[in-house]
Amino acid sequence: MRTTPYRRLVAWLLRQTLRLDVAINRLYPTDFNPLYYTGGLANFFLIVLVVSGILLLFYYVADLEGAHRSVAFITEQVPYGDLLRGVHRYAGDAFILAALLHLLRNWFTERYLYARDNPWISGMFLLLLGWFIGVNGYQLVWDDRAQAVTVLLVRMLQAVPLVGETLVRLLLGDVGVTRATLPRLLFLHVGTASFLYILLWWHYVRVRHPKVWPPATWVLTLLGVLVLLSALIPPAAGQPALPGQGTTAVPLDLFFLLPFWLAGFVPPGLVLAGLLLLFLLGFVIPYVGEEPRTDPVRHAGVAQVVDGNCTGCELCYYDCPYNAIVMVPSPYPGVTKAAANRKLLAVVIDSRCVECGICIGACPFEALELPKFLEADVRRRMAEAVAVTA
Amino acid sequence: MDQETLTAEARPRTGAQGPVVVGFVCVWSVGLDGLVDERGRLRAFPSVQVISVPCSGFVRPNWLEEALRLGAAGAFVTGCPYGDCLNREGNYLMRDRVEQLERRLQRRRVEPARVAMLAHGLHEQAGFLEAVGAFLRRLEALGPAAPTARPGGAGAAPTARARPGGAAPAARPAPASEPAEEEGT
Repeated sequence: MRTTPYRRLVAWLLRQTLRLDVAINRLYPTDFNPLYYTGGLANFFLIVLVVSGILLLFYYVADLEGAHRSVAFITEQVPYGDLLRGVHRYAGDAFILAALLHLLRNWFTERYLYARDNPWISGMFLLLLGWFIGVNGYQLVWDDRAQAVTVLLVRMLQAVPLVGETLVRLLLGDVGVTRATLPRLLFLHVGTASFLYILLWWHYVRVRHPKVWPPATWVLTLLGVLVLLSALIPPAAGQPALPGQGTTAVPLDLFFLLPFWLAGFVPPGLVLAGLLLLFLLGFVIPYVGEEPRTDPVRHAGVAQVVDGNCTGCELCYYDCPYNAIVMVPSPYPGVTKAAANRKLLAVVIDSRCVECGICIGACPFEALELPKFLEADVRRRMAEAVAVTA
Repeated sequence: MDQETLTAEARPRTGAQGPVVVGFVCVWSVGLDGLVDERGRLRAFPSVQVISVPCSGFVRPNWLEEALRLGAAGAFVTGCPYGDCLNREGNYLMRDRVEQLERRLQRRRVEPARVAMLAHGLHEQAGFLEAVGAFLRRLEALGPAAPTARPGGAGAAPTARARPGGAAPAARPAPASEPAEEEGT
């Protein structure tokens, strides 16, 4: 079996990822390994963002003059307002961090292959929009940093051929920063965040019992960390943005504003092109370097229903982790005595099957088979092994 | 490390008489390179016959029961660490199924301790061998399985194998032709 450098790299990364797990599992029981819940952690931070965001929305004024003042009001006058802003800020960082961990882990452990590319592709969109929403959030404060970010963002969009000006107009609501800008940015921040939930539906749709929530101990601990962090290092709000002010040196956030830092060294158009390329490369990942499907154990073929034995009991349907089995009204009775009176028939949707064989373990009626790894062979090997003893 | 001592402990009874323990090991879980010989037995415990499976959830619990009935002293399943199943839920499902099987065995007066569910990741060979060693010691403490206690042990095969359809399981033809005949739509 020939291997490409990419395959060797992923295999190496897989081994390192699992080695890291061994180390973490020494500290925590495996049920609490945070790396097993990266998706749930991201979802938890998203919920924190939504709740704190709604509370901030009560005081925020989307107005060129009023925005910075309202943020200052939240920080200084609203009870626990500075804490709330801090939680919103740090939960945003944590969300991106958790999402990146989620991406890397599922990449390195190859949990995107075959029927599992759906969550991968929706995940790429979630990451892109998550980043965009975060950048928007920095703009809403409308301080000097927001202005710098807006200027760079506009330059990036202007570099797009043909539709550049249109994109700028879509972002700012006008050809430049006007009264329409901040309401537009607020809508992009909140509206896109709502759209994340549609993408999350796509992200979860083929997954039975998705792990959307980390264990309670982690939820409480991380909530505490967020509050503590925002109490100790309150998020700074810079000077109010002034029209005509040039881009000044501003503190940059690692997870959201890295491309803007880069834009100081290379043309903004190039940064945007690089981001786009990264995004597109992400889509390619599930489809490059597929292992040749020669190993009959790892790639045992799509599960197949042995029609005559299926009793329509739905056990496989409940156990399949990918909703790859559906129950349909049985068009005719089964052959075996148990299946003679069936009302339903299990059907495997090939495009969703990952060839794991969990349905075989679920079925007490021998009504499912993996075509390249037959039950009869397993039982024959078992019988031979035991017979040597006797 | 303590592989040698474990071997020494397990060998006296079980090692001398060939494989008496069947282990279904998920191909994605503990790395078996160097642990098994060419016939699929564990080098450290020659009495253990390993059968690689696509996922621990692939194992139907009555195969474990069947192994016991055929004369194995014990049977176990190894999956990935809980929470890290490649197929998301295989090892949790298998853990549940083994628990159910234990209760079923108890009702049939077979020691439930003869089946076990283990969970070890790719790099946890030492832990895996340790767990298998502990399982073998547990089996030794149980003593030889009483043949009469096993369902089907005294020619009771048809009733014990209350398989729907009453198909004679041992005489079941190799289903090589089945994938072609069944229909997926």
